[in-house]
Amino acid sequence: MSSGPNGARRIASLLRPSKFDSGVCKSCQETLGRRTYASAAAATPSATAAPDTTFPVLKPVYTINAGVVLSRPPQITRDLEPFEKAFHFYQKRLNERLALPFTKYFYFKRGTPADVDWKKKVAERRTPARDIGKYNAYATDAWNDELLLGSKESEPEYQIEKLVDDAESTANATSQDTSKKEEIPRPFSRVTEADKKGDFKSLNRLLPKTLYLLVQSKEGYWKFPSSPVVGEETIREAAERTLAESAGVNMNTWMVGYHPYGHHVYTNRKPHIDKATGAESHGEKTFFMKTRIMTGQADLSANTQNLKDFKWLSKDEIAQHVLPNYYSYIKNMLADR
Amino acid sequence: MAAREQSRYLARALPRAFMPSARPQPFLGRRNASDEAPARRLSDELETASSLTTVVSEDAAKSFDPAAQAKSRKSKLPRSRYQFRSPKYDRGPLHPHQPPPPSDPSSRLFVPGPFTLPRAEQTYNSTVASDILTLCYVHTPPGFKPPPKAPRLREWDDSSPYHKNRPLRGPRGGDVLRLLRKPIRFNNIPKIERITIHSYVKNAAHENSSWLHVAGMAIQAISNTRVETFKSKSSVATWSIAPGRDTVAVKAELQGETMYHFLGKLIDVVLPRIKDWPGIKGSSGDSSGNITFGLVPENVAMFPEIEVNYDMYPPKMIPGCHITLHTTAKADKDARLLLSAMGIPFYGKIVH
Repeated sequence: MSSGPNGARRIASLLRPSKFDSGVCKSCQETLGRRTYASAAAATPSATAAPDTTFPVLKPVYTINAGVVLSRPPQITRDLEPFEKAFHFYQKRLNERLALPFTKYFYFKRGTPADVDWKKKVAERRTPARDIGKYNAYATDAWNDELLLGSKESEPEYQIEKLVDDAESTANATSQDTSKKEEIPRPFSRVTEADKKGDFKSLNRLLPKTLYLLVQSKEGYWKFPSSPVVGEETIREAAERTLAESAGVNMNTWMVGYHPYGHHVYTNRKPHIDKATGAESHGEKTFFMKTRIMTGQADLSANTQNLKDFKWLSKDEIAQHVLPNYYSYIKNMLADR
Repeated sequence: MAAREQSRYLARALPRAFMPSARPQPFLGRRNASDEAPARRLSDELETASSLTTVVSEDAAKSFDPAAQAKSRKSKLPRSRYQFRSPKYDRGPLHPHQPPPPSDPSSRLFVPGPFTLPRAEQTYNSTVASDILTLCYVHTPPGFKPPPKAPRLREWDDSSPYHKNRPLRGPRGGDVLRLLRKPIRFNNIPKIERITIHSYVKNAAHENSSWLHVAGMAIQAISNTRVETFKSKSSVATWSIAPGRDTVAVKAELQGETMYHFLGKLIDVVLPRIKDWPGIKGSSGDSSGNITFGLVPENVAMFPEIEVNYDMYPPKMIPGCHITLHTTAKADKDARLLLSAMGIPFYGKIVH
């Protein structure tokens, strides 16, 4: 947030003589060179001398890349662990024992079809709650509130089925038209078509997890889209350009902030020497910008980054695709879920 | 030729560590403290010897029926042998009969829960929190020293002998000492702490108490929390309200699971259905990270809990309410960032 595209600041930094050449980045140079009003008057001569000792001037031997970590956040809640299911269910039955009785007369007017329907259901399941199985919290054997082995009551699928059944039977019992059967829509499946087909290109796969866009270079390596920073552009501008050049413009994306949130260093075995300029390069450093996708889909047909394929992958799938060295750098910036 | 081919393949196959290199290289990227830690899952932290995974023989599982066993017993144990009763009164720490901790179901203070893992909470944990951390990151280059700040409370200048032993002066421009806003790091990402629903029912004083009863029922229904009632503190002559005499307000405080369920309903069900609602006013907030907005009675009636049996509420008596979202943010700016990430819109001039 601090180093946005701030034109006035950039012009000021161009006019001002640069204090150190390239030890620190442009925006950091500005921060360090900014006058601090409390100390400026007293310590002007020493302030200019100090940085030379703390920052040895390095030649830019690494290529600076801007990378884009384009992600789709989880769309649905996660699957519960068996312990969580059992615990929630146990707490529900405990609550049934400890809470005040259900105030029926507030919800059902006496003599209405809804009241008749309610009485029938309570006689069946012994409790107002629809998703805790057959259990009477006020009976003498209310202590017997634990589930037996193999019972399905704590499974979310069972509970959803019970809720829908209850809604359906209420709708049928209270409707005027007895010829037609009411259908309450079931919730959509948590496993989508793309999951069943194993379609890695679909954004509809793995709904409870975060998905990341990975691209495959012509050489066959999987990586996040990245390309060298050109000229005077900032990391964010370079990242936006990289995304457009590699995955196309047919996406509505949001880049989170102006700072990279992870990096990767690749060191060449031998320094490469550019024949035209004579500049030597020891490798490349990639800085990753966090980006969220809202709508759209990646399209590599018009890419200019030598890419041949893309996939939407979760964290544990990324570990299978990329090289171990690459993964050791990126794994801490990827979400667990 | 063939031998040369072989050696070329061999050279390629050799790991990079054994190849001549211009620079010393680490073998495999870098090593972090987190490399040693195994991937964290809930099931790893639980005991492996759980009753959920034990294998029991079919016969033993089928024949196990605790209710039938209890019925078939000829003589029953006295209650005191199997039922622990928490002492009703506190008789001090030396008394042999001590109450169990409140997390024990036999404690008198036990409150059951949680019953679910709310969706809004999961969204916050998986998406919103990490985005806020990335957004609010402020880069300080190596060697950067922040300029020294003036003390929050000023000294007296000792121009008068009466300045001795006086408490420090307040900040310039007013008495209010704002909260100290620290840079947002992984351990102080703003989150929603609690939600307060408050409803002031003016008719409860000059008509009858049924207004208050209905307001309490409605607020309880939408919040799943017991309400508290409050007496008036100020006098309003036109509504014939006298301080300390008339009970005029109800309030519910929501925390934890209940709070996230309420927030989910508010964001996904109620607020989108309000006609021509521009959002929360940008100037709302108490400048320490708590945002308040109001709902009129028609909006309160849109909560699904009231909608299912709308007929049972006297339609004119459904109250409006003020909802305060208390966050751990130290400034309104951060609170608005959090709430807009959770899906609450803001409009107008944003005041920080």
